[in-house]
Amino acid sequence: MNADHSELTGVGADAASTPAVELRGVTKRFGAVTACDSVDLVLQRGKIHGILGENGAGKSTLMKILIGLVLPDEGSIHVDGQAHQIHDPLAASKLGIGMVHQHFSLVDALTVWENVALGEAGRLDPQAVQHRIGEIGEHYGLTIDPMARVGDLTAGLRQRVEIIKCLRRDPSIVIFDEPTSVLTPEESMTLFASFRDVVAAEGRAVVLVSHKLDEVIAATDEVTIMRQGKVVDEMITADADAPTLARAMVGRDVSLRGERAAFGLVNAAAADPADVGTSDDSTPGDPSSPAVLSIREASARSPQGITLLDGLSLDVHAGEILGIAGVEGNGQRPLGDLLSSLVTLSSGEVRVSGEIVSTKTPGAMASAGIGVIPEDRHDSGVVLDMTVAENLVLIDPARAANRGVLDRTRLVESAEQLIAEFDIQCAGPDAPMWSLSGGNQQRVVLARELSYEPKVLVGAQPTRGLDVGAIEYMTSRLRDAASDGVAVLLISSELEEVLDLADRVAVMFRGRIVGEMARDAVDVEQLSLLMGGAAV
Amino acid sequence: MSDAVSQGVKRQQRQVEWVGLYAASVAVALVASALLIQTTGGSSLAVFDALIEGSLTGTGRWGLTLGAAAPMLLVALGTIISARAGLVNIGQEGQLAIGAAFAVYISFRIDGPGPFNLVVLMVFGAIGGALWAGAAGALRFWRGVPEVLSTLLLVTVATQLTAYALGREWLLLAPDSVGARNNVSEQLAEDNRLPNLSVLGNQIPFAAFLAVVLALGLAFALARTTWGFRLRMLGKSPKAAQRAGISQTRFGMRAMLLSGAFAGLAGAVMFAGGGFQFSNFKFVPGFSGNIGWTGLLVALVAREKAIPAILVAFVFASLRTGSSFVGSTGVEARVTDVVEGLLVLALLIPPAVMFLRDRRRARLATTERT
Repeated sequence: MNADHSELTGVGADAASTPAVELRGVTKRFGAVTACDSVDLVLQRGKIHGILGENGAGKSTLMKILIGLVLPDEGSIHVDGQAHQIHDPLAASKLGIGMVHQHFSLVDALTVWENVALGEAGRLDPQAVQHRIGEIGEHYGLTIDPMARVGDLTAGLRQRVEIIKCLRRDPSIVIFDEPTSVLTPEESMTLFASFRDVVAAEGRAVVLVSHKLDEVIAATDEVTIMRQGKVVDEMITADADAPTLARAMVGRDVSLRGERAAFGLVNAAAADPADVGTSDDSTPGDPSSPAVLSIREASARSPQGITLLDGLSLDVHAGEILGIAGVEGNGQRPLGDLLSSLVTLSSGEVRVSGEIVSTKTPGAMASAGIGVIPEDRHDSGVVLDMTVAENLVLIDPARAANRGVLDRTRLVESAEQLIAEFDIQCAGPDAPMWSLSGGNQQRVVLARELSYEPKVLVGAQPTRGLDVGAIEYMTSRLRDAASDGVAVLLISSELEEVLDLADRVAVMFRGRIVGEMARDAVDVEQLSLLMGGAAV
Repeated sequence: MSDAVSQGVKRQQRQVEWVGLYAASVAVALVASALLIQTTGGSSLAVFDALIEGSLTGTGRWGLTLGAAAPMLLVALGTIISARAGLVNIGQEGQLAIGAAFAVYISFRIDGPGPFNLVVLMVFGAIGGALWAGAAGALRFWRGVPEVLSTLLLVTVATQLTAYALGREWLLLAPDSVGARNNVSEQLAEDNRLPNLSVLGNQIPFAAFLAVVLALGLAFALARTTWGFRLRMLGKSPKAAQRAGISQTRFGMRAMLLSGAFAGLAGAVMFAGGGFQFSNFKFVPGFSGNIGWTGLLVALVAREKAIPAILVAFVFASLRTGSSFVGSTGVEARVTDVVEGLLVLALLIPPAVMFLRDRRRARLATTERT
């Protein structure tokens, strides 16, 4: 055992109490894949414990075991020194284990208190629930109006509802699964600060699951690092620094800027002048040249009358990557939809190479030369019930047809070529799209959009849910596209990704661009203020 | 290579599953029917014999069955088109009636050579059906009324409307029939009826050929043309379709019109005749005779595929022609209705089971991978 480990157990002894949770040799296999390989984990009361690892390292499976969603094949779980079998979430909740999930499970049409009461057994007492929400809010600094409709809340407030839902049951062990993916850096810090108070004061054990180094360093007391289902290291956070953690997480030195950005090392990415050079290899767009994509004063409302875009203007030049930063839910999705011909403008215009493109005509954006990697690929990127070959010509099947009759040979041949070129893992051109993994589905989208040789490429959250390898592939493809002279618009709620890829950064807030700066001139603090809506 | 082999094996497995499911569910229906007939004092063997004789082995019967199958198949093809576009058109019974009424109306007002008249009346039938489905389509795409409801409710309107037209000489009522017991139209002149082809003592109606050719054509169009590709895409993912330039309104409306046109054509074909005499070349109250509903079931059982629909339509038509012989066995009509219902149910269950299972598999596959 290394020094870090002995120190860790030392802390437990100092506290002179039985650990809140102790996992010993927990193993879980899914077919040939071992998601968790004899994992040991000790959670102490009064401490924030970080669990760090890449996508697929086994973090989520481990947490699912802890809250009874997955049954382990081997190993034991002790809660407060007692051995327990956690068969379902109900059992976990009886043991005082609660989890705030990464994806919200809230009903938009209901109010805050209704959502909090949802899933409770027994008689419903609205007054009591509302009162309790007030209490929790006051106590933890999570104030919220119990009568507000969840659908009207910002992502940060929705998460607050999720946390209140969890805290209402007074859990002694609280798990946060990637809680900051929808928050501004500011909001994240507030969240962590309030939890440090709570944890210290009330002796709860808190687990923070994350793949962001900055966050783990800032918010946790101890950290367990997982790689490929195994615990590879445990340390006291105060003794660790970012490079050490990153090395433990990937199992080698991390040098690529893209990778580092993927781990959330904003400042490292921003501060290292040697790395900025890599983006100079490409030919950044010449701002004096006319923009390829130009949006002017674009405003749009949803059919329900909610403002989607509010006078948004932006320009993207050939060969540059414009990154749109911002907290999710500030119009990024409508912007992507606008460029996919899914949103009609009430005023304003979109031009490609100077020509106005109608926002009312379906398909006008695609035929004007705008390729899109959509935020939700199942929504408008791929058709799961069609084959890979069909998905590769989705936008314009006429390309593989003679006078309206599809040419099977041509369809299959061009599909095979793209499958090889983009290294798409699938059973062949005729494999149904749903049989592909998320990363490979994303490659199909990328392959198709690039094969149409677009003038503009829109990447909307292009790396969401992908693992590090796939992220690297995607980011390098986007860079290549830009250096081939495509105007690339990157819409991402991962600030690190924007900072890593973009030549220029624009911040989106409430449906409009509220600030713009060249990559070299970026000040992260100012950026996050803009993201939070502060006037600068 | 091994992937291709394993895919082949999977396909074979699926075929075995299908056959097994159908065999099992039809067997259960037959046993239940036999029990029912026996306990109500009839002979189950005699009933099944009568079913087979009435639909297949009796003199001239399979020709009749083909004649009954033709309009069912046409309706089913229309259903398949709308279903592929993601639209639920369930008002074929009404579209068929309106189509037939259009055909009847024009047939007594044109005076060309027989084949010309036939083409005109079939085109009018298709137009009538298309208009009726188009009304539901217009409500759907410009007013947001769910087409499931509007198509269904328009069936009732169609029944009332055709009844009204049948009461008016200037519309459909035969001249000089005021005071007759039933309102019926004139009978179609022999020159203007659809011809039959005599084979082995059976009259194979022209309509059957027409329906099969259209089924093959539709199967090809759906699988191998950009039109079919776009239609499927619209049905599976309206947003992806919109991005690709497929207007939901324009494309969906066209699919709806075409769907209704097939039902209307079926009505025209029933009127202009074939092996199975639906109403002796006249338009009568209740002309549709459930063919619209049956066609809907055919499409459902054929899982919205045009070529299987040919066979399925024949099976449903057999139940119809066969059951007319069952009456002679002395078994109560109510009992034979139940038997017919059980057999239809037996055909509907396997697709439902497979659908549920496939969906569960697909969901498992997607959740595992995300």
